[in-house]
Formats: sequence, C-alpha cells, structure tokens
Amino acid sequence: MKHRIIVFLALATPLALGDEFSQKDLERWRAEFNTVMEKGEKLFHSTLGSNQVSCDQCHPNGANTHPETYPKFQKQLGKVATLREMINWCLQNPLEGKPLPLDSDEMIALEAYITWERRGVPLAPGKH
Amino acid sequence: MKIRCFITLISIAVPLAANEVKLPDAQALLGLPPVPVPADNPLTLEKARLGRKLFEDRRFSADGTISCAHCHKPERAFQDGLPVSEGISGQKGTRNAPTVINAAYFTTQFWDGRRKTLEAQSKDPFINPIEHGLKDHQPIVDIVRRDQGYQRDFKQAFGIPPSQITIDHVAQAIASFERTVVAGDSPFDRYQFGGDKNALSPSAIRGLAVFRGKGRCVSCHVIESTTALFTDNRFHNLGVGFGRIETRLAEIIPTFRKAKQANQDIDEAILTQAEISELGRFAVTGEVEDIGGFKTSTLRNIALTAPYMHDGSLKTLEEVVDFYDRGGFDNPMLDSGIRPLRLTAEEKADLVSFLKSLTSQRFATTGVQP
Amino acid sequence: MSIDRRTFLKHLGAASAAATLPFSLVEVAWGLGSKPAEHESFTFAYISDSHLTHIKGTRFTSNFDRGLRKAVMEVNLLDPKPDFVIYGGDLAQLGKREELDHGLELLSGLRPPLKWVIGEHDFYLDMGEYWQDKISPLYYSFDHKGVHFVVLNSILTHEAWINQWTTPMERMLNMARLDNPRGSPFMVGERQLRWLREDLAKYDDSIPIVILSHSPLYKIFKPWNFWTDDAEKVQKLLRRFSRVTVLHGHVHQVLYNQIGNITFYAMMATAWPWPYPVSYVQKPNQVPKLTVFMNRADPFHSRDGTGWDILDMDSGAITNHYQLWLNENRTVAFDFKLKHPVDLKFQNPDKRIPPQLHY
Repeated sequence: MKHRIIVFLALATPLALGDEFSQKDLERWRAEFNTVMEKGEKLFHSTLGSNQVSCDQCHPNGANTHPETYPKFQKQLGKVATLREMINWCLQNPLEGKPLPLDSDEMIALEAYITWERRGVPLAPGKH
Repeated sequence: MKIRCFITLISIAVPLAANEVKLPDAQALLGLPPVPVPADNPLTLEKARLGRKLFEDRRFSADGTISCAHCHKPERAFQDGLPVSEGISGQKGTRNAPTVINAAYFTTQFWDGRRKTLEAQSKDPFINPIEHGLKDHQPIVDIVRRDQGYQRDFKQAFGIPPSQITIDHVAQAIASFERTVVAGDSPFDRYQFGGDKNALSPSAIRGLAVFRGKGRCVSCHVIESTTALFTDNRFHNLGVGFGRIETRLAEIIPTFRKAKQANQDIDEAILTQAEISELGRFAVTGEVEDIGGFKTSTLRNIALTAPYMHDGSLKTLEEVVDFYDRGGFDNPMLDSGIRPLRLTAEEKADLVSFLKSLTSQRFATTGVQP
Repeated sequence: MSIDRRTFLKHLGAASAAATLPFSLVEVAWGLGSKPAEHESFTFAYISDSHLTHIKGTRFTSNFDRGLRKAVMEVNLLDPKPDFVIYGGDLAQLGKREELDHGLELLSGLRPPLKWVIGEHDFYLDMGEYWQDKISPLYYSFDHKGVHFVVLNSILTHEAWINQWTTPMERMLNMARLDNPRGSPFMVGERQLRWLREDLAKYDDSIPIVILSHSPLYKIFKPWNFWTDDAEKVQKLLRRFSRVTVLHGHVHQVLYNQIGNITFYAMMATAWPWPYPVSYVQKPNQVPKLTVFMNRADPFHSRDGTGWDILDMDSGAITNHYQLWLNENRTVAFDFKLKHPVDLKFQNPDKRIPPQLHY
C-alpha cells in the first residue's frame, strides 16, 4: 500500500526533462537570430571591399541573390557551389576586396540577412 | 539542319601517338567531353586518314609549296612558332596560327570566329592570296579527281566516283582529320579528373588555385566539374594590339563599314590589312561592342604553342601572366573582366607552372618546349 | 511629306498581326482623336546613371568609369551622328565635386551636343548647387524639329526630410541607399508643376511632347523609390496632348508602360543593373505587365545588364533601341494600332528566351 502511494507521488512530481523549452526560450533565441541578422544587414549595406561598392547597390533588400537556389553549378567557380562561396566571389570581384572565412561570424551574419529577406520562397536547389 | 551527335568510343589499350591517325579514345579524352561531330559529316577513320593526306599536300597552292601543314606543323603542335604566319612567297599575314589540337571543340573558327565549322574554315586559306594563293578551288578539285591514290581514298571514304568529288568533300575529310587531333589527359586532367593527387607539383597546385581565384582566369578559360575546355568560346577585348588603331577608330570604322557594304571580301582584308585585323570580332558582326575582341584560346598545350595572342606579340607564358597582371592594355572597349590582379612573384610563377601542366600526354613530344 | 512613311509602316507591320493598313485608316487610330503635328524625324542618344564613385585622391571605382567610357566611345561611332545626347542623371554616386568633374571630363569627348537631366545622386549633397553652377539648370524646356522637350527635376522631396540630417553627406547617403527604410518619396513639387503648366500653355495639343526626368513619372515600387509621388498631377497636365513620351532613368532596367496617352520608357544605366521589384517578395509592386524583362545573359559579368539607348523620334512617337551590352539588343516601339509600346521581337510570351526569364 505504501509503495503505491510513493510511486504515484513520484509520477505526479514534474521532472525537468532534458531539452524541453518554453515560450521565453523561443523568444530569446529569436532575438539572438535577429541580432545576427541585423548585423548582417549592416554589413550588407557597408563598403566591404576596397572600391566603395556595397552589396545593396546591386541587391537592394537582398533581391536577386536567390539564396534558395544554392547549392548550384556556378560557372564562375567551375563547380557546384554554396551561397557563402558566391558571397566570397562578390567580395573579391565586384567589391575588389578580400574573401571571408566560410565559417566566420560575418559570413554567418550575411547569410542570415540574405535568407531572411528571401523568407517564404521554396527551396529550388540547382536552379540557374 | 545541324544536329550534333557525339561519339564516345571504348578505350583502346594502345596509347595514341602524335603521328598516327586514330579515332580518339577515353584515356586521351580525359578532361574533355566527347568530340562534337556534325550529323552531315560522321567521323570515320577513312575520312580522317584522307584528311591527313590532304592536310599535308603542298600541291594545293599557287606555287606548289604551301600545304595546311606549312603553318600547322604536326611536329610543332600543329602551329609554326611564329608571331604571325608566312604564306606563299614568304608573305606575312596579320595573325598568329592557332593550333589544330582541340580546335574541334570551338563553336567558331579563326581568331574572330568568322567561320562556324572546321569544314568551312578549311576552305578559306586555299584561296587567300597570302596563304596558299589559289584563285579558286578548282585546281584542288582537279588534282583529287585525277590522282589515282586520291581516287581510291575518296571512294573508300565517301563512296563516290572521281567525277563527283567536290571541294566540300575535301573539306569534310580535312575536318574529320582535325577531329582526331584532340587530347586531354594532361597532368592537370589526371589530377583534377583522374583522381591522381600526385600528378601536379605543389607549385602547379597553387597555380590552379590562383587560376580559379585571384587570377580570375577561369571566367573565360573555363574549368567545370567533369571537363575543362579552357575556353568560353566568346570574344574579349584585352587591348592586345589595340594601340595600333585606337586613335584612328573614327576613321577606320566608317571605311570598313563602307567596304563591307560594297561586299568586299573580309577574309582577304583581315589578313592583308593590319588595321582591319585589329578590329577583331567587329569585322564579322559589325557590332561596336565587338571592336578589338578576339576569341578565347584554349589553354591546353599552351606550353607548346608560343608565341601568344592573336598577333603573337607575347613571347613567353611569363609575359602573358604579366600582361594580365597589369590589367591588359586599357582602352574604352576593354573587356570589363580584365583588371590589375596584383599577383605576387610566387603567384605568377605558380600560375606558369600550372599552365605548363596542361600539355597532353599525346603531344608532349611535339613542339619546342620553352 | 515630313513623316517617314516607310519607317512608320515598318513599325506597324512588325508590331501587329495585320498587314500594312491603308494610311487613311491608320490616321483615325491615332490617340484620342487629335492627330499629332507632322515633324521631321530625328535620332538622339541617351546615356544615364553612371554613378561615378570617388575612392581617394584620383582613384574612382573602375567598373563605373568603364561603363561611361564605353558608352561615349560607342555614341561617337554612331553613323549617322545623332542630333544630340541626353545625360539622364546620376552622373555622380555621392554628388561630390570630384565625381561630377570626373564625369564632365569623361563626357567631354562626346561629339554631339549634350543636354542634362539631374538625378538624386547628383543633387542631395549640395542641393544641386554645383550642378546648376557648372552643368545645367535643374528644369527647362527646348524645341527640336517640331517636338517640344521638357526637362524636369523629379527627384525633389519633402522639406522636413531634407532638413532632419546633421550633415550634407548624411543626407546624401540616406538618399543614396535605395532600400532605405528612412527614405522619402520623389516628387516634382508645386513650383515646377506651376512652371510646367505655363510652359505647356504655349503649345497646341497636336505638338508631340517628350518629358525627360530622372525618376519615373508613374508609380512602380515605393520601397525603392521607383516612384514619383505627384505623378498623377504631372500626367494630368499632359492629358490634352495627342502624343506624349516620358523618358526616365533611375531604375537601371528595361521598363516600358502606357498610361492613357503617355508612353513611358526607362533608359539603361551604364553603371550597374537593378533587380526587378518582383524579385523582392516581401512587398507588393506595380511593375508594368507590358514590360518584357531585360536580358541577363551572364549576371556575373560587369557589363551585363548595362548599356545606353538610341531613340528615333518619328510621327510623334519614340522607338527605343536598347543597346544592351553583352546581350542581344532590344527594340521597343510604339504600336500605332495597339496604342502602346511593344518589343518588336519578344513581346509575345512564346518568343521569350532564357536570359529574359531567370529572375
């Protein structure tokens, strides 16, 4: 009789299960993303190369970057490439600057901004 | 009308030697797509062998001294090593002889793309006054119809009697031969497509990275994931030789336009008048955008085909790299992909090592190595 | 007869399915009952949006320099020579004297006479002071071979917006950024509208009118200022004329439209192409359905999507020969039967080629 009560009580106590998250967590993580995305927006609108050109000049609001089509074959690189590799191509060519490491904070921020401006568009990998 | 059909053949165990006429095999084509063959001229060994014979026949010239092989010497990687070629009676032309090796992959022929096919290209030099010097193709047709050896060869290749042989059959045979003068299978190809990571020296590997990155070469000298043609088949103004005409363009262009309207033969004008030659692709299309534009050469076997550029003005690969590093020769029509590169001395040396690794195994013993 | 009948019939034959109509039947089809006055045909060129950018000392962004140099060389090689060239605005990127002087130098080699339209990138650093001093009045009109041309400064905006910035460069940078959430719409403004009414009053309804402005005098996409706030007021003043064309820059792309009696053509930029507003999916747009999008053969080539324009003025209407560098040139002409512009080759959706489709 005693055992059953104990078991019942044990079951009734709320346990802190490993990865359960709350609404507050979601909001906090969303804010983290927004911070990085906004940093990306700043970078996108600044002169990252050596010739005073900024990404938004050819791509206002990130238009015509087509992030949903990557990875795809890029003639300019002679291989199937990712969005980040093309960001580096732009940094080196139209912006006459230096490439960023593919895993750098700046690169991640740029990717966050570019994809955010294209939110809602279905994936179309490989599409030219 | 033209439907392209491609021929891929099963690999033959015997490696292809430079002097044998053989249909290309898989190993020789490593790094290249199948050879494009037009539907109206299927490729056979008989045609190719006949084509080789015609290619080397010196009787097809006004004084019996000039054959195709005179400027496109098989023993010199199918070119002549001169800045500009010399035809009949030692007359100098205006353009550097391109190699025949891999010319089958171009979508147009000549530096300015004025002919669409190998067949069409092969007929022009015969009747150019400073190349073979014939007035028309009739002497050639007469020879092939009367010569017993040719009678037999044309019968075998085309199934036609002598009386039906035309200059177009001659052209088709020559083009067929040229379609066997193809090769990939260079150290670069083995490294990039053959999986042999030891095929390139460390310097050439660094050079490949420069070629694709800081050097920007790959924008026009195409490398793709399974093949590399090293040409985009387009026309670009680098400014080579442009200084010769730049200040007088306002004069030269209207003169040229009038001549073209009066139906003057541009093939002859291009090789005999230096100024017209410098107009490049414009002479063919009449588009102002094409002024001073020349076709992107393939870089395969480039180490064997000095000197370089349409006028042969750059003698060595080092000079070529320096030229690009400076940003070409600036002019208003300069292709906007050309700009100063700011390469280091090591990057330039590595680039040259890479370019030297583009020599096909098949032709490695031909030509004079720099 | 001053109208080139052969050219007129050529446009008609190319644009509409019908065979060439008898001349008298076509006269009836001309806009709103009143026939445009006859005038001598002529050709002019349009170079626009070079955005020359000063880096430091004597260094300028080379890509933009190259676009302008190429346009100047090509205009100079035109045969026959055009009657004049219009510069459509945005010669400088940030309105700096270095940039404007550099532009004047590059354009000094042009053989035909030059007429100027100001753009916002030229204006907002010093509110057009240097431009008026060195280059041209901000708005004016002129007549040429029986056609009345009016140049408007259509890139003005609200005083309050102009006055809020702490430095001229801050003001300029905020106007320069196309997708600026703190931007402000373009307008012609009351003073110019009054001037325009007076200027037009001297002209009979039948006189062909051409308006040259930097921003489009209609509404396409407000987030990027492809927009003129008081466009309807300008259009109203133009309504009585039988043939009106507006030529504008600013959008850096092929755009054409017809609103009532007014034909609108966008001019190419020599510097760089803008995307079409349809490619920013987060906001709605009013890109004219009539426009066949410009060819983009190779978006990664510096000169792709840039160019300039050759314009034929004939029978009161303009044919625009778009010179699209690195792409097939396009010709958009006014169709007298359909009463709006059509692309002579690609208007039919079945005729589109891949470089016009992948946006």
